[in-house]
Amino acid sequence: MQKSNMRRIKLIKYILTIALIVFVAYNSVYFRKLDEVKAASPSKSFNPKSFASDFYKNKLLPRADSAVDLNVLISILKTQPDEAFKKYSNALAIGNIRYFLVKGEGIIHSKSDDAVIVKLKGDREETNVNIAIEFVYGNAIRDASGLMNLNDFSNTAEFNSISESINEIIRKEVLPSFVRDADVGSDVKFTGAIEINRKYVDISLIEILPIDLSIQN
Amino acid sequence: MKTSIKPLLYTCALIIVGMSGCANNRTSADEKKKVAIVVSTLNNPWFVFLAETAAAQVRALGYEPKIFDSQNNTALETEHFENALASGYDAILFNPTDADGSVANVKRAKDAYVPVFCMDREVNTTDGATSQILSDNYSGCVALGKYFVQTMNKKGKYVELLGLVNDNNTWNRSKGFHSVVDNYQNLQMVAQQSAEFDRNKAMEVLESILQAHPDIDAVFCGNDAMASGAYQALAAAGKTNVKVYGFDGAEDVIESIRNGKIEATGMQFPQLIAEQAAIFADEYFKGKRDFAKKVPVAVELVTKKNIENYLAYGKRD
Repeated sequence: MQKSNMRRIKLIKYILTIALIVFVAYNSVYFRKLDEVKAASPSKSFNPKSFASDFYKNKLLPRADSAVDLNVLISILKTQPDEAFKKYSNALAIGNIRYFLVKGEGIIHSKSDDAVIVKLKGDREETNVNIAIEFVYGNAIRDASGLMNLNDFSNTAEFNSISESINEIIRKEVLPSFVRDADVGSDVKFTGAIEINRKYVDISLIEILPIDLSIQN
Repeated sequence: MKTSIKPLLYTCALIIVGMSGCANNRTSADEKKKVAIVVSTLNNPWFVFLAETAAAQVRALGYEPKIFDSQNNTALETEHFENALASGYDAILFNPTDADGSVANVKRAKDAYVPVFCMDREVNTTDGATSQILSDNYSGCVALGKYFVQTMNKKGKYVELLGLVNDNNTWNRSKGFHSVVDNYQNLQMVAQQSAEFDRNKAMEVLESILQAHPDIDAVFCGNDAMASGAYQALAAAGKTNVKVYGFDGAEDVIESIRNGKIEATGMQFPQLIAEQAAIFADEYFKGKRDFAKKVPVAVELVTKKNIENYLAYGKRD
């Protein structure tokens, strides 16, 4: 009788020890479905090219129509820079780099490998601005629009790929005909994005990353 | 028989209660709240600056900071998280070692109701950290890529030294750079290798690459520590005409740009990142919950032309 009691005690001890080990092990290791893990990494189904194409035609071009006139912006930047940044600039990042969506008209003054230099119409101080025809890269156009939010995308790589695709549309579909037809003396109408460092405001070297361009001979 | 089982049951119950209690060992309302600052490595001055600035801001806000060094080791980082959670830290300011490997740590903290604010480096989940404050590495390297093309006159052979391959910053920087440079066929990348954001490794890796490619014109590095290591390797080989480009805005590279030894860097703002993370923790303690999941911080191109506007680590005037 005593022997069988000892056996039962031993058995219960074993069961409790195993239960304790299982409890500790269960709380030390966790399992997740592989598709959940994969879902956390860059989405394979996201197509930046088609997203950018739709965004450019249906959102960016209509938004650019209501951009601030570049003459107006330059004038406010000279007199009330804080007001200009507050009212017209956009940026997803915190810091000094801000972007403006602008529109305007001008006369082509000259051309270089990287830019078409335009004298703005209606500007008493005869400001020349550069329309970039080579280095159309980065997030300036996407961010100047104020239409996108990083937090709507699962990771920054996906978000940046949208900019690459928008820039490619501009380099391949907007710039070739413009560069071909942009003769000195021609009238040009433009919409685009400009970048200005809020801490070191310099409006003597304004470079426009174009969104839409048209020559009016 | 009953009496012989009871002590065993009590012991088990005590262990279970003790273990479950660990997760709820937060400071009470009257105590000074504790903030853990878990940093990927303190073997790089940039991260030392990030950690110390965060600690100073946490202290200035009236809380008690402690810095943990993960030594670029995800397992050690996990230990730090376990210790921080068990010791009752109320928030974690976190600079991860691995975009994927650090996700579990962030989620562990979330499960224990401890907010995590990522600084500078990203974790690959939007369901973990309370907020992630990250440099806009891609835009910064687009600007560097454009400057690279211009200063190289659109031609030449170059080497790229990558950072840690499991870190998103490594690839966001590389992608930003290549989104510009790859459009120029006469710019040829002859080697692309990881030097893990480490100065000594960069020196070793570049010394080895120079054996096979002694005629390179430039080296693009994913951070300033590697840029310094690369310049050291080039100087030892008598090739100081090779252009070196970095990223960070570290003290020695700012000085090297001023002296014409290094061409350019992307200035990050670790002070802004660290201070913002501490301010977010303070706001969390005061009841705020609706934080933006990701907050990018602008990066600025620093070259010899505008070097006078900058100090190391983008310190403000």
